[in-house]
Amino acid sequence: MLAYCIRRLLIAIPTILLLIVACFFLMHFAPGGPFTSERPLPPAVLANIEARYGLDQPLWKQLWDYLYNIVVHFDFGPSFKFKDRDVNDIIAQGFPISLTYGSLSFLVATAVGVSLGIAAAIRHNSWIDYFAVGLGIAAQALPNFIMGPILILTFTLWLGWLPGGGWNGGQWQYLIMPVIALATSYMGSIARITRSSMLEVLNSNFIRTARAKGLPTRTVIWRHALKPTLLPVVSYLGPVFVYVLTGSVFVDIYFSTGGLGQAYVGSALSRDYAVLLGVTILYGALTVIVNLLTDLAYAWFDPKIRY
Amino acid sequence: MSLFSIKDLSVRFNTPDGVVEAVKGISFDINPGECLGIVGESGSGKSQTFMAAMGLLPPAGHASGSAMLNGKEILNLPVNKLNKIRGDDVGMIFQDPLTALTPHLRIGQQMREVLQVHEGLQGSAARGRCLDWLNRVRIPEAARRLDQYPHELSGGMRQRVMIAMSMLCNPKLLIADEPTTALDVTVQADILDLMVRLQKDEGTAIALITHDMGVVARMCDRIQVMRMGQFVEAGETRDIFRAPQHEYTRTLLDAMPRIDAGDAPKALEKDDEPLLKVDNVQVHFPIHVSGGLFGRKVPLKAVDGVSFDIRKGETLGVVGESGCGKSTLARAVLQLIEPSGGNVSWLGHPIVGLKRAELNKYRKDLQIVFQDPLASLDPRMTISASIAEPLKTYRPDLTERERKDMVAAMMERVGLNANMINRYPHELSGGQNQRVGIARAMINKPKLIICDEAVSALDVSIQAQIVELLRELQQEFGLSMIFISHDLSVVRAVSNRIMVLYLGRIVELGDGEVICSDPIHPYTKSLISAVPIPDPDVERSRQRLKLPGELPSPMDPKAALRFLPSRLSTGEHDYVPQLSEVKPDHFVAEHDPLETLMAGT
Repeated sequence: MLAYCIRRLLIAIPTILLLIVACFFLMHFAPGGPFTSERPLPPAVLANIEARYGLDQPLWKQLWDYLYNIVVHFDFGPSFKFKDRDVNDIIAQGFPISLTYGSLSFLVATAVGVSLGIAAAIRHNSWIDYFAVGLGIAAQALPNFIMGPILILTFTLWLGWLPGGGWNGGQWQYLIMPVIALATSYMGSIARITRSSMLEVLNSNFIRTARAKGLPTRTVIWRHALKPTLLPVVSYLGPVFVYVLTGSVFVDIYFSTGGLGQAYVGSALSRDYAVLLGVTILYGALTVIVNLLTDLAYAWFDPKIRY
Repeated sequence: MSLFSIKDLSVRFNTPDGVVEAVKGISFDINPGECLGIVGESGSGKSQTFMAAMGLLPPAGHASGSAMLNGKEILNLPVNKLNKIRGDDVGMIFQDPLTALTPHLRIGQQMREVLQVHEGLQGSAARGRCLDWLNRVRIPEAARRLDQYPHELSGGMRQRVMIAMSMLCNPKLLIADEPTTALDVTVQADILDLMVRLQKDEGTAIALITHDMGVVARMCDRIQVMRMGQFVEAGETRDIFRAPQHEYTRTLLDAMPRIDAGDAPKALEKDDEPLLKVDNVQVHFPIHVSGGLFGRKVPLKAVDGVSFDIRKGETLGVVGESGCGKSTLARAVLQLIEPSGGNVSWLGHPIVGLKRAELNKYRKDLQIVFQDPLASLDPRMTISASIAEPLKTYRPDLTERERKDMVAAMMERVGLNANMINRYPHELSGGQNQRVGIARAMINKPKLIICDEAVSALDVSIQAQIVELLRELQQEFGLSMIFISHDLSVVRAVSNRIMVLYLGRIVELGDGEVICSDPIHPYTKSLISAVPIPDPDVERSRQRLKLPGELPSPMDPKAALRFLPSRLSTGEHDYVPQLSEVKPDHFVAEHDPLETLMAGT
């Protein structure tokens, strides 16, 4: 198992390097640059600025310097757009915010989704089932950029219960709406996957055996059916976890939370190479780690899996 | 007083197509300590009868009538009352031991919870009782099994665990629903022996649900023959086997092939040039095992040096237990998987390693019929389109009209109605689908057909029809067949010669009748003696040759020399037992004398 983890982490290094190289070239091949604007700068000024950021060097040299600084100094370089701020600062500021509301959303989506799915499967074809299926589909059909305005309209403008935006150090009033907006559609998917998985498990031979042994229904469900039910849910949760951890641009824009999502999209639009690459590497590393955690989690759910 | 009594039991299912009556008002009794066989083919309602009585029907099923256990009504009791009976007064075991145990709970946990629920027994007392029962069902190293997960045990061992688990609370009645159908013959024989002993020692009554007349002959005191939700015949086992009254019972008994019938086809004369020559074929699969930082690959020798030839118009039967490599061998012969070594030649032309286009020239003459008829047909193609497809490849000169006529003629030949041409596989029964598979294989008049467990998934009466059809086609077109099956009785009925495989190697090859009536290799002997014979007198007086130990894993390096321990003891672990021709055309692999094997381990 330890050997497996080390092996996986070793494989992650070339993966992330490949990711960096691919993104680096993709970005540089896209038309325009960080200092292109509608009103062109005087050529001398532009050349000065480009020299300051090393953009006048050949591409392979730029890539080499970039990788060298990361590996040796853990320095992702300065932002091209925001003077006096480098990528490490931007991530250090935005990521904790995204992490906070993202992991809360993840918990809410998982807890509510799984409970709803299980309740629906146990009471198959009853009103609970129909309610859960309906809610699941509705939630899935409401992406966060629809949920955002709806929530703000309801809780801020009509009811006046919650502040319409801002972060304020992550006070609970400021957290509620971003968390709900981000969690809803995942919750819907999780509920649907859990429900169909549980229905399948309840039809399987070992559940028939458990019933034939005279076990009470709650033992059959919690002891025998739950773990196999969650196996497909876990494989869905892995990517979701990465996605919500890194925040959402829509949430950041609607609720002015100042998370990493906004910085990411902003940097892509303004060709802020350093920020874009830095955040991409963060996503990549998180994906690798979460995938590893998901795979390790499988072994707990299914003893057949050995590493 | 009878122990278990069913009166006027009906089971209905609400389906989207309306109400289906699976069981139509049946009545029977089971007396204490007896073994009652409920015999019937798939869809006869034999399982549903007991599922209904125990409240285990799926939600769409409804039961009416009466089911009495010890004089108390149990039909349609609420779940909490039924839970007092299930697992306590009535134990149940099911067909597929591989899926019947909860995969993520240890054997011990699954057994202990029965004692906890029914007797409030916990801790070391519970553990002791579980251990006791695992020993009584003869599981080797019982204490270690308690901490193992189901997937770490073989199919036969899992079925023993199921039996031990259902016997924990000393039930009065054990319901066994096709308990040995998914198992190899030798394992089946062990499990049946075990159940006979439990019946005798514990006085447990057994309700044995099965389609296999051979199993019935060995086990049952009385039989109820069931068909389409009703009993057609009931009585003492001996009487029914000797003089079946009902037409259907007779059909069932006639359809069962017997390994001692003595009417197998004779071996054909050797040709100068065999149709197909298989020379030292090997198929190795790399298996990943953990160890070191990156693990390592170890070859699993699924087929390990098999040589034989097929004569024109001959049927070669291939038998062996699961994991012996018989299906892999079939695929390697057809180049559906590339052999890791060795040669296959067709009419003198080597066909190993040919390019796809060249190979296709030979494929016309080499066809295969697979085990699962429904899964091996494209669900989105009508059956006539499936049958016509090989024609499109090999006879592009045909017009649409001619092709249609040929398909129609072939469908008629294999016994499919002309009005079925536009049906899809899911609209047909298993037997009909297998006819489609045969028609598809036959449409180009091949010279060799490989039947890979082609009749194993079918009911006995259908199985007999398909075997008959294959025989007729063979006569008519003079084709050769490789007939692969785990069912020795069927193989014997169709094969001129039989080849017995054990872990990827031939142990015996010879005339079919000789192999079945006078086998030489200990493994063949134990296989033949484990095949149940559908005749209660013969079956119960037969001596079984039981080799020590379970069927070993192909990954076990010592397994290959199980019949040659003398070489193992001298350290020659890589020794390959040689085949020798003991009589003309009868090859037997080198082995130690039987007495030595029985004495060892």
